[in-house]
Amino acid sequence: MTQALLFKDIDEPNLADIAVYERRGGYEQLRKVLSMSQDAVLSELDASGLRGRGGAGFPAGRKASFLPKGDMDKYLVCNADESEPGTFKDRELMQKCPHALIEGIVIAARAGGINRAFIYIRGEYEEQAQILDRAIAQAYDAGYLGERILGSDVSVSLVLHRGAGAYICGEETGLLDSLEGKRGNPRLKPPFPAIEGLYGGPTLINNVETLMTMPQILRMGGNKYAELGVSGSSGTKIVSVSGHVQRPGNYEIELGIPSREIIYGLAGGPPPGRSVKLWFPGGSSAPVLTAEDLDVPYDFDSLAKAGSMLGSGAIIVVDDSTPVLDVALKTARFYRHESCGKCTPCREGTNWTVKMLERIEAGEATPMDLDIMASVQEQIIGNCLCVLGDAMAMPIGSMIAKFRGEFEKHMQRAQLTGASA
Amino acid sequence: MSGPGPGFEYIQELQGRAIPRASDGSRTPGWDQPADLTKDPAEIPDPAVIHVAPALRDEIEAAMARYPDRRSAALPALKAAQRFHGWCSPQAILEAACVMRVTPGYLTAVATFYDMFELEPKGRHSVYVCTNISCSLRGADALYEEIAAAAGEDGEINVRHFECLGACDIAPMVSVDNVYYGPLGKGDAKRLVEDLRAGREPLPELRLALRRTAASELPAEHEQ
Amino acid sequence: MPRPQPSEITFSIDGREVKAPEDMMLADAAKLGDIEIPVFCYEPKLGPPVGACRMCLVEIEGMPKLQTACSTAVKDGMVVHTRSERARVAQEAVVEFLLINHPLDCPVCDKGGECPLQDITFGWGGGKSRFIEPKRHFRKPLELSPLIAIDRERCILCYRCVRYSQEIPEDYQLVLLERGAESFVGTFDGHPYVAPFSGNIVELCPVGALTSRPYRFRARPWEIEDAGSICTLCPAQCNTRLTVRDERVLRVLDRNHPEVDDGWLCDKGRFAYQAMHVDERITSPMIRDGGVLREVGWDRALAEAVGALRRGGSATAALAGGGATNEEGLLLGRLLREVLGSSHLDSRDGEAVSLPHWRALANPKLAARVSDLEFAHAVLVLDCEPLDDMPILDLRLRKGARRNGVKLLIATERASALDSRADAAIRFAPGRGAELAWALAAALRGEPVDAAAQAAGIATDDLHALADALRDAGREIVILYGERVLDGDPGALLALADALGLAEQDGGGLLGVPAVANGRGLREAGVTPNAGPGLGLPALAGGHGAREIARRLASGELTALYLLQVDPVLHYSDAELWERALARATTVVAHASFLTPGLREHATVIFPAETSPEKEGTITHPDGRVQRLRVAAAHAGDVRAEWRVLAEIIERLGGAPTPPTARALSEALFEDVPFYGGLTLDGLAGRGLRWPELQVSNTLSDAYEEAEPKLRKPLRAAKGKLLVGTYRSIWAAPEVAASPALAFLTPRQRVELAAADAEALELRHDEAVVISDGEREVRARVVLRAAAPAGTAFLERELEEDGANVLRGPHVTIRTVASVEAEAAALIAAEEARAAAETETLAQAEAEQVT
Repeated sequence: MTQALLFKDIDEPNLADIAVYERRGGYEQLRKVLSMSQDAVLSELDASGLRGRGGAGFPAGRKASFLPKGDMDKYLVCNADESEPGTFKDRELMQKCPHALIEGIVIAARAGGINRAFIYIRGEYEEQAQILDRAIAQAYDAGYLGERILGSDVSVSLVLHRGAGAYICGEETGLLDSLEGKRGNPRLKPPFPAIEGLYGGPTLINNVETLMTMPQILRMGGNKYAELGVSGSSGTKIVSVSGHVQRPGNYEIELGIPSREIIYGLAGGPPPGRSVKLWFPGGSSAPVLTAEDLDVPYDFDSLAKAGSMLGSGAIIVVDDSTPVLDVALKTARFYRHESCGKCTPCREGTNWTVKMLERIEAGEATPMDLDIMASVQEQIIGNCLCVLGDAMAMPIGSMIAKFRGEFEKHMQRAQLTGASA
Repeated sequence: MSGPGPGFEYIQELQGRAIPRASDGSRTPGWDQPADLTKDPAEIPDPAVIHVAPALRDEIEAAMARYPDRRSAALPALKAAQRFHGWCSPQAILEAACVMRVTPGYLTAVATFYDMFELEPKGRHSVYVCTNISCSLRGADALYEEIAAAAGEDGEINVRHFECLGACDIAPMVSVDNVYYGPLGKGDAKRLVEDLRAGREPLPELRLALRRTAASELPAEHEQ
Repeated sequence: MPRPQPSEITFSIDGREVKAPEDMMLADAAKLGDIEIPVFCYEPKLGPPVGACRMCLVEIEGMPKLQTACSTAVKDGMVVHTRSERARVAQEAVVEFLLINHPLDCPVCDKGGECPLQDITFGWGGGKSRFIEPKRHFRKPLELSPLIAIDRERCILCYRCVRYSQEIPEDYQLVLLERGAESFVGTFDGHPYVAPFSGNIVELCPVGALTSRPYRFRARPWEIEDAGSICTLCPAQCNTRLTVRDERVLRVLDRNHPEVDDGWLCDKGRFAYQAMHVDERITSPMIRDGGVLREVGWDRALAEAVGALRRGGSATAALAGGGATNEEGLLLGRLLREVLGSSHLDSRDGEAVSLPHWRALANPKLAARVSDLEFAHAVLVLDCEPLDDMPILDLRLRKGARRNGVKLLIATERASALDSRADAAIRFAPGRGAELAWALAAALRGEPVDAAAQAAGIATDDLHALADALRDAGREIVILYGERVLDGDPGALLALADALGLAEQDGGGLLGVPAVANGRGLREAGVTPNAGPGLGLPALAGGHGAREIARRLASGELTALYLLQVDPVLHYSDAELWERALARATTVVAHASFLTPGLREHATVIFPAETSPEKEGTITHPDGRVQRLRVAAAHAGDVRAEWRVLAEIIERLGGAPTPPTARALSEALFEDVPFYGGLTLDGLAGRGLRWPELQVSNTLSDAYEEAEPKLRKPLRAAKGKLLVGTYRSIWAAPEVAASPALAFLTPRQRVELAAADAEALELRHDEAVVISDGEREVRARVVLRAAAPAGTAFLERELEEDGANVLRGPHVTIRTVASVEAEAAALIAAEEARAAAETETLAQAEAEQVT
């Protein structure tokens, strides 16, 4: 059921050390791309069918090919601001195998014709940042980074940049503003970062897992990699499973296996005597699914067809012991806290939604408020500057749609207890 | 009509006490105060007037040198200033702004955007308790209360709710001075505070860095 | 940067075919089809759109999601629906979102009636409210600065004001704090938002969150009238829109003129209208009677003035400044030259500049426009501080550098506010702008530079770096110069213009910043010692410039002085000489609004001066744009039109009659000044016309011939002394001191020092000191500046107290007040001791005598 590419040596002691990583075949793909043409690297990535592992699922090869050719300053930014609730795969990958990330960065830089790279790691990951600091220093010493890598004419510099606690910096343009030393407000698109990104230059932004997959693709060959998984969702994926499961953790799976196998088979399912009430298939921004959807294949297209999304590959399982209102309130409060405040529907919509949910909780709401809340979610979706507003509106909207009866029951109960109190 | 109406009472109430701005309050002082008109405008601090400790200056300048645009050093500069001064005090921000050649207003705008900057004096130890969804499904809200109760009024321990810290596999978990520990069970809250007070590493056996991947712990039938 | 030349396209909006320039933003292009798309955050003046408020969502065929019209460039064939069902639902949603936390306190809100949020709610809102939760509350209103109140409840977080602070004056003082629904507009640690252009945020705010404190609760939009005017407090001559209620000016707003002010105002221009209505303003004529000024009727004052001027005759001199109009200048010239037989009149400080120089400088081929600052390849800021001397240009220069990559090069004596924006900046020795220009011209021509560089007090390496930057920048270069650079040798600037080939460029040239608002117009109207109207040969030769007038008044050769809106003791250098000159003069007739020091002590007759909203006539912008002033408010008190006062004096002295109306007088001006030929008041309309662009025959030829440089001796360092440089702050104006709202900005003397100099002199920041040139002294506080050039102390000119104008330089000594006082105390003690000893000796002697 598991398929180990990225996780192959993951628990090898001292894998974070360059010597161990090299002994395990590390940096061989970096050597290989130094002698390959930019187009050859791009076509391997393209052939692999790899889709971004950060959340949006955009084909990674195509993204790299959008960068204009020419010798202007171009940038590669590794998005290591893993903040999507329920997601912790990049943390484990960076902590245990930082050199694979560096190797992936050089490969991606080669694909985009880029020579300045940054890793934007969330500020809370200080332990991982220190591991990366050491790894980057080792890579520089070994000549895998810097001017004229291993004597070739490829140069890539790499700077590790620590965030300071803001979910919105995981949004790629918010990340760019933050990296430029500003408040992490998302930017208007277009222009897209591939044309005008960091410091106004063409910028390629990739997630940690995406970049760490690149050495694997080079090793196997793009076509071979594409044989893994299913059509439209090739390869393997690290899935973070958390919440009401018996074995929470990261599992590397081949895309397309039934979701039930991940939740029950790997993660052990809910505690004995409990059943799955709802689950987020791709982080807390994904519309929720229910027990009925457990047999949906875990891949990009199948989850989209089921009305949700694969997102960052984080499954959060909620069992029947937890009221849906608690989940909704937790989720909405999170997005209100993390809304940057730049655009109106998100700033005011998240705030309003929380206030309505609080009113429901306090027994001060009527079923009409559910209609208003549902309509507010619709007013947010598609009207915001970035996707953060949608990221709240989609799961909240799905909870209202799928658990309306429970919300209404709660209202009645709360009204009664409120009245008796 | 006799006496002032309910609107009047409301205004009275507003004038009489601090106004709760939003349900979770504000970290940034000044939102309900007028500008202090006796102060000069906060322009870029002049290095001829502001003294900055050489070690802090060196650290910020080194950060500025790492980027094509010196402004990119705003976060590292604020972190350094916070470390030197214990929190992002006005003086800390002023000094960072002086070295970076930006206005203190610019850095204040940045500092207040991010959760990890402390805009009020805070204790030496930071304890972030993740209370986002995955952790809360596994008892994080109660854990937060327990830790907060154990720390009590101890000014040295800064216990904060935090959004998802990216460690749902060890839920419920805490980040103590940027080191992750979890899952915390019964009695761990009290022990955590005791360890901190005693100057020991808290809950050493729960340190995240010691864990293997969940995949490696799978029962045999799941292996490839 | 060549200006963009967009082609025209056709697009369809709500069923209408509309033509618009390609790539214009849809929100703007829609207006060309008479369709309004609501916006809050969008304001083209603030730079690229940010798409934050989401108010302007519209449907565009072929695009799956609604698009923000503020950020969508129109393309040929685009089909747009602004009122489709989808668009309407989204627009209503945004209005609803904005209103959920907006207090509906419109009845007590200053913005009520002129509020975009009100209008858009009415036009695009859903007309219902579903939000029953408590709104966000803030204490309100709060002071953001002495000028601006902030009401954070009303704020809709459109970001305009903070974008303004960051993008326009680039002061980064006003920022957004916190994030999300918690965000609020604020400053660092409760500091007030005080900056030269802060008032613009009041006008930018689309709700009543930022209001003008002086205007709060003064009027409702339906009680006021709008009047177009021009600010004459500095040479920028920004176009303004006055809010007038009951004939009083209550507010000043911008009247966007892209060729003049770009839609911004400085706080002096915005708030100094208050000075019109204060008690200190002179509103009736006064004469000195028994040594004391007292108010009298017009007849008495006119008779007094006429009598005195008749006695003065050809020994009369005249100076004009402030906001005096071209017409007033014309009449002043007639009064002096044709009636009194004197050609001693001037409109600028310092020595006279020769007529050939003036004519060469006015050559239309060399003339740059204001907007060239935004599109040239490079701008050299030479010997002026735009922020102080012509503030609005500071914003224009920043805009050019930020948006169009205009290279900004600075050559000044004092650190400039634009240094941080500049590609290169050099400092020369105080007062040596001309030498710098010679040196730069020589460097550009590949000639030896050493002598000029030494005289300018600059290192040759720095000079060559600046010359290289200019040479490499591109063809179109604007030199923005302060008129002080003409002191010493006016040929220097012309040589520099020649070295850069400015006469051959369309997008470049010279733009001079005079010291007073209508400096250029007064000169062109004939208020200059060696030229008549239109820089023609004067009717009378042998006129003296201002400095020489002072000397001759002081020596008694000249006996009478006519001051049109200028007080040389306050405004001109060598205040002490002027003090003596005025003291010696038997007659000092002045038009003034405030009793400045020279007038308070020495004026014999004072006529109340008009302010620009009360005036009729024309003024000339430094780039040659003739602009029209129209009466916008009633004369305060007994104030009369100043041109009528001059006309009356001319008539009583037997001069030729003056045209009977202001309009006829302007026509006479256009006739007298050849290059104003063809102008009419109606043609000037509300936007003015640049005469260098008019196809009129003018006598300003290219016949100027460059002479050998006249270089002054290098300034040497002197032990224990510093060179002294002076500057005039934007706030150094009687109108600022007199306006209650602005009074807090009135400058007090401060001496700027480099840290090394302060250390050598053992002076600390903020210490009280005495600066002396050996004879005269001023008191000041020490201000340390890292950017201050070592070896020079900088002090403010034109202050009513302790102005640096009294100092003669080039060197000064600086001592602490404490040490001066201690020394004085010691002297007194020594003197007392000596006196005591003497008394004792005397007593002894006496005693001895007695015995």
